[in-house]
Amino acid sequence: MDSPIINPEFLTISPEQIRALTPYLVVFGGALLAIVLSVLRVVQPKWPVFIAVLLTALAGAAASQMLAPEAEVSLFGGMMVSDTYSNIFNILFLMSAAFTLLVSFKYLDTERMQHPEYYVLVLLSALGMMLMTSAIDLIVIFIALETLSLGVYVLVGFRRADRRSNEAAVKYFILGSAASAIFLYGTALLYGASGSVRIDQILSLVHSGGAEVSTPLFALGAWLVILGFLFKVASVPFHMWMPDVYEGAPVPVTGFMTTGLKAAAFATFLRVFLGLGYGSGLTAVIQSHIHDVLWVCAVLTMVIGNVVALTQTNLKRMLAYSSIAHTGYLLVGMITGTASADGYASVVLYLVAYAAMNLGAFAVLSILATKDDVGLNLQDLSGLSRKHPLLALAMAVFLFSMAGVPPTAGFVAKYQLFYGAVQAGEIPLVVISVLCSAISVYYYLRVLVFMYMREPVAGAGSDKRSVSPWAAIAVLGMVFATLQMGVIPAKMISAARRAVASL
Amino acid sequence: MINTVEPWVVLSFSAVIFCIGLVGLLIRRNILIVLMCIELMLNAVNLTYVTFSKMQGDMGGQMSVFFIITVAAAESAVGLGLVIALFRTLRTVDTDEIRLLKE
Repeated sequence: MDSPIINPEFLTISPEQIRALTPYLVVFGGALLAIVLSVLRVVQPKWPVFIAVLLTALAGAAASQMLAPEAEVSLFGGMMVSDTYSNIFNILFLMSAAFTLLVSFKYLDTERMQHPEYYVLVLLSALGMMLMTSAIDLIVIFIALETLSLGVYVLVGFRRADRRSNEAAVKYFILGSAASAIFLYGTALLYGASGSVRIDQILSLVHSGGAEVSTPLFALGAWLVILGFLFKVASVPFHMWMPDVYEGAPVPVTGFMTTGLKAAAFATFLRVFLGLGYGSGLTAVIQSHIHDVLWVCAVLTMVIGNVVALTQTNLKRMLAYSSIAHTGYLLVGMITGTASADGYASVVLYLVAYAAMNLGAFAVLSILATKDDVGLNLQDLSGLSRKHPLLALAMAVFLFSMAGVPPTAGFVAKYQLFYGAVQAGEIPLVVISVLCSAISVYYYLRVLVFMYMREPVAGAGSDKRSVSPWAAIAVLGMVFATLQMGVIPAKMISAARRAVASL
Repeated sequence: MINTVEPWVVLSFSAVIFCIGLVGLLIRRNILIVLMCIELMLNAVNLTYVTFSKMQGDMGGQMSVFFIITVAAAESAVGLGLVIALFRTLRTVDTDEIRLLKE
């Protein structure tokens, strides 16, 4: 972009770059293969597509793990970067996609909508997430964002014959596109102010203290970009879409959205947020404005998310409001990261822990859901411990983790996050967060009360559900991950520290 | 001799179009009009990019426009598909009728 002549180094690709690109190529190739397999007429297409997509996701995760670059590798003329930060999130997205697939297999049979496109869309959305967290060019971020969003819009509306699913999809589509457009307008203004859409170039401009970054144009552009991301992570006051979409979407898709989509949005938000120069060279006025506005957003998000969750009886809706509340905690980490010793490592750790426990909780809900997602109200869980003692136990682990009770992943993550905020000197914010966290214990434990202390009732979801081996593997895996991170957190904490070191 | 247009005129024009799109998205009740408003917002962004690109003598902005046009096309295809799916079950495209999830 700097010179109009084609630069020869754009046309060659070095072995390190191939190495760094392998996970993306594996996932992309797997998705293409799955599309071809899905039109096979010789066998029922669900098996080959399911196996191909599942293996691709696992192979991509393994490739990310094994071919992790030691140093930052710049890709495509500096539009993308492969570093430890994007690497840890690649593994998270692909594992989240793989577990979503495991859970979905039986669920799609129950819903009588065993279409192979479902698996392909999950994989392509995961690819969009991977590209989004590795991109450092705002236009590439936009394209990756749309790649993943378009997949997820369709997945949300996958129960085509159900009005609630359709409604959720259209609502999500309209609000999501509006947020993308606002984000894009922000990038256009940033381009006008700084002459670049690359966040590393914008950052060096901010560091050099050029006159461009103190213009109103730059500030407005930065604000619109932040606004777009606040919408994507569902921070109050842009949270209204989330409960509706979560309730209308098929249960495994909701699980995928709370883990993959949320982690992708936050991971990219963090990259762009730091790229705009937060905490490192923004003029004092803009810095304090951003800090104050995010402070208010974080407090409102935590309070509203937790208080409204108290009154919900539908479990999907309750977990949606709980997801909003967790967005609030993560925003606390975003605000205080620059001033605490561990920096943004606690945010990464929280995203990983949150993904594990939430994926598990939604896996249990997908097993319990009957056709058309009925049977997910609080009273439907009455006496679950008698019908399915192991499922109830797994659900209990996930709920304890969300409430932040040791020895689970949720406790470690919350501890790190709030400890970082204390180090940053944000005592009022920490007090509010801890109080909100205390409120949340009520609605998480209420589910436990229904599962363990109520008699089973007759109703839509009262019969014993058969558990598919795939879903059982998913639940077991997530229980293991949640407890492992809670009992031996050191490994994950050091991985998170390594990841943010490359930011 | 072609009269040149000042950049600020074009920039304000595209800002106005963007705001019309945003306001239309918030107040109009017909989903098809809402989809048009989204397109309006994206095209306002395109115009902004082209203007800044011209002002700075940098081709990067004009390149971005091509990508945005492509993505916008994909987005409207998916959007119309979802609206058709909604219309099949609900028999309406009025957003006031879409309130099943609020209850």
